[in-house]
This record gives sequence, C-alpha cells and structure tokens, in this order.
Amino acid sequence: MKIHTLLFVVCLLASVFQVQAANPQSAPPPPPSSLYTSNPGAELWREVRQRDGEVLRGTTQMTSTDAGVLINVSGQLWREYRMQKLIPIAGVAILVVLAAILVFRVVRGKIPIPGGRSGVKILRFTTNQRYAHWSTAILFVILGLTGLIMLLGRTVLLPVLGPDAFSAIAAGGKFLHDYLGPLFALSLTWLFVLFVHGNMPKPGIDLKWLASGGGMFGKHAHAECYNAGEKGWFWLATIGGLAVVVSGLVLDFPIFGQTRATMEFYHIVHSIAAVILIVVSFGHIYMGTAAIEGTFEIMQTGYCDANWAKDHHDLWYEKVKDSAGAEPRQAEVQPGMAQRESTNST
Amino acid sequence: MARMKFYCDADRCIECNACVTACKNENEVPWGVNRRRVVTINDGEQGERSLSVACMHCSDAPCATVCPVDCFYTTGDGIVLHDKDICIGCGYCFYACPFGAPQFPAEAAFSSRGKMDKCTFCAGGPEDDHSPAEYSKYGSNRIADGKLPLCAEMCSTKALLAGDADVLSDIYRKRVINRGASAFDWGVNFNKQKLDLQG
Repeated sequence: MKIHTLLFVVCLLASVFQVQAANPQSAPPPPPSSLYTSNPGAELWREVRQRDGEVLRGTTQMTSTDAGVLINVSGQLWREYRMQKLIPIAGVAILVVLAAILVFRVVRGKIPIPGGRSGVKILRFTTNQRYAHWSTAILFVILGLTGLIMLLGRTVLLPVLGPDAFSAIAAGGKFLHDYLGPLFALSLTWLFVLFVHGNMPKPGIDLKWLASGGGMFGKHAHAECYNAGEKGWFWLATIGGLAVVVSGLVLDFPIFGQTRATMEFYHIVHSIAAVILIVVSFGHIYMGTAAIEGTFEIMQTGYCDANWAKDHHDLWYEKVKDSAGAEPRQAEVQPGMAQRESTNST
Repeated sequence: MARMKFYCDADRCIECNACVTACKNENEVPWGVNRRRVVTINDGEQGERSLSVACMHCSDAPCATVCPVDCFYTTGDGIVLHDKDICIGCGYCFYACPFGAPQFPAEAAFSSRGKMDKCTFCAGGPEDDHSPAEYSKYGSNRIADGKLPLCAEMCSTKALLAGDADVLSDIYRKRVINRGASAFDWGVNFNKQKLDLQG
C-alpha cells in the first residue's frame, strides 16, 4: 500500500515538473468557456462547505454567535482531536506514569534518611508558603479529578455507575470545575510569588544534578534550596498553569461572543496543558508523600530534619547551618520535638 | 425501517422563516433557542440562496460521539434525540456539530448554559409519548401521531422536505430532472453565463 502511494506521489510530482518545464514563463491559458460553464449549484455548496478556507457568513434572523455559519468545519477536526488523540493518549499516559511509579516503588522501596533522623529541625517553608501550596494543591486535585471525569468518565465510570449516577457526578464536577477554576488562577499566582525565589535555574548545579539522575539511582548530586527536579516542576506548573488558566477563563466565560473555532482552540490548549500537569503531578505527589522518608512532614509542619536537608539539599544546608541564629530560616530546636524524634528513631 | 432526514432545496427556499416560526410555536421553544434557522448566502446579489438548517439527524452524529455523559440516542427511525435529565450542559456537542444545531437556554459566566436543546424531528424525548414531562422538555411529539415535522409540513414552497431519506431522494431527483439540467450545470434551473451575456 505504502509503496503504491509513494509511486503515485512520485508520478504526480514528475508530471507537475513536466508541465512547468513545458510552460516556463506563463500559467496555462484559461480553459475554453463553453466547456467550463460555471455551475452556481456547485459553487454554492463549495462556499457552504468552506472549501476555499474562508468562513462564509450568511445573513440570518438569528442573533447568536456563528448563526450565519452554515457548516462548522472545525467541529470535525475538534471531534477527531478529542476522540482519536486526546482521550486515548491521556488514558495511556496516565496508566504509563502510574506503572512507572509502581516499578520505581518496587525497585527502590521507601528511601530512608541516611544516618536516620538527627532530631534537629530546620525551617524550610513558611506558613504562608505552606498555605499557598495546599490551596493550590487542593484546587488542583479537585480540578484535575473533575476534568478527568469530563475526559475519561464516559469510558471508565459510566459503565460502572450507570447513566443517572454518572450524570449527577459529572454535573457536580462541571459545577465545581467552572467555579473553582478562577480561584486556581489566584492561588497559582500566590504560589508563584512565594516560590519563585530559589527556583531560578542555575545551569552549573542543575545540569549536574540532572546528569546524576537526581539521586534516583543512588548518590545525590549537589543541590541548593530546590533541586533541578523541583525547579522543573515549578516552571512546568507556572507555564502549564498559565496556559490552563488563560484557556480555562476563555472557556469558562462564553459571554464575549467567542466563536466555536475559538472555543475549540482553547479547549485543545486547556486539555493538553492539563493532561501534562496531571501526569507530572503524579510524580510530584509520590515524591512528596510516600517515596522518601521525612518529606511529607515538611509541607505539613514547615520543618525538615537536618539529615534530610544534608542528603537532598546539601548546599542549602551548609548555608542555613552557617548562618544559624541570624538566618530566619534557621529554627531553634524545640526540645520536645527533638525528644519525640529521638524516641521515634530508637 | 425508515431513515428520517431533512432536505432543504436551495432553489426553492424563499427565506420566509415560516419553518422557524412553526417550530417555535409547535414546540414552545424559549427565547434565544433556535432549533431551526434560515441562512441566506450572497444576500441581495446574483446567485442568492437561502437554506433552512436544523439538526440533520446524522447517521454518525458528532454530538453523540463527543458527549461526555452519553446522553444521545438514535431512534429506530434514525432520529437523533437526547435525554435532558442526563445532559450536563458542557457545550461539547455545540463545538462538534457541523450545523450549529445544539442550542442552550443561557450563555452566562462560569459556563452556565443550562440543558442543551435541539430539533427533535418533532419526536419528543425519552419520556412517555404526549406526557406533560415530554412536552415541557422537548416539545411536540408528532412522530408518535404518524405526522412529519411541522416545519417541513407547512413549508409554502415545499423547499424543506422531511421524511424517509429514500423518498426525499426520489422527490429531489425528479425535481432536478424536471429543471432540465445538462451535463454541465447539475441542479441549476438557469444558466448563469447566459444570464451574464444577456445582462
């Protein structure tokens, strides 16, 4: 089949070049008019179907957006995108990432703090930073789940729940998605302002960290307050988040006369950015909760263990350790906390 | 089994909008929702044509394919209907539909559209035939009475045809033959170039 197609294309190209060679200066003369009588019927349908690529707007008594457009050509492209690309690719991507995390878990297990807990606590995130993180995280999970219901629910949930229950869930999900979306824009901005300091790329350190595999397969490379993986997630969340927020607002407020082509375009932007964020967030959630000992408590309490800091963020640890007392990020060791930690570790 | 279709004969439609009015009246369609509309191309110019459009009850309906809650179904007569109790008003059917058939009662902030409404081929909805619930949600059910959609039934020039696709094809084929089409101007009842020469 492919060879036949190729041959056909080659012949076509050859014939085109032959024609060009025969008439090097001028276009072919206009065909005799008696043979090529223009056909208003065919012209009408060519215009209606927008074969020439320009959107034909007729006149109509209806005042709604796009009422004068007879055929919405982009609708078919959007349908093909949603049904043949977006839904299968998103489904496979989610399964692949979950499987990869499972394999990583089986191979590496829970990664302990080398040398155990020191019992010395260092302030890593301020209360403000933690509130910004958890506001964004909770909104992200709600928006992600409700978005996935719209995307994959018909395939995954509808056969299990039946039409009535699934419709109720999807309607509730759509309501939450539409009303919480704008709040996500605010919390993401808050997060960006609080975390951008320390997340600026430093190629010297970051590339070495990436080259070593981020400590995934053994020894850690040097890292400052945030390693290259965290910086990557920060910038992905910022840029992807910006795409999701802008496109989401266009879709959420269809009150400015957006045409269908506009809505379809922003839906494509929204869905691609959202699926990437969701898939990568699985990695972030696993790393932050169950993967590494002593990590989840940092975003819970704001404090990290000194040995954890030494292992994962050695350059940052050296800095905050030296400026003890004067540095506001250095916390006084609370005796109760240290004691509790030491009893835990024994 | 019949396969119900609409066909609008562009050489007969006179843009009277009676089909639109009949539809609104028969189905008590609310303001802002237009199950049927007439679009005129090249208005006021030579070659002006009007077409009456509504849901075309596609065999492979894009609305039904993209619907995230699967609220569409096709009747035994090939009529594409939907269940408003299942619809969540997301608007995907409106993005995908080639004809702009899906309509929404509202267009408000936070994507609040209400339940989708569209032409039912005057066949009501999933509720019991002629029940008040069916009428309030979907309008009239003429198909259950053995009648065709009112828009086509009352078209004064018989431009808009509704019924079994085979029958409609036969009617239109006869019209085309009677218009004396030649091999070079199919479906045209005047020769544009001759008119140009005379003018």
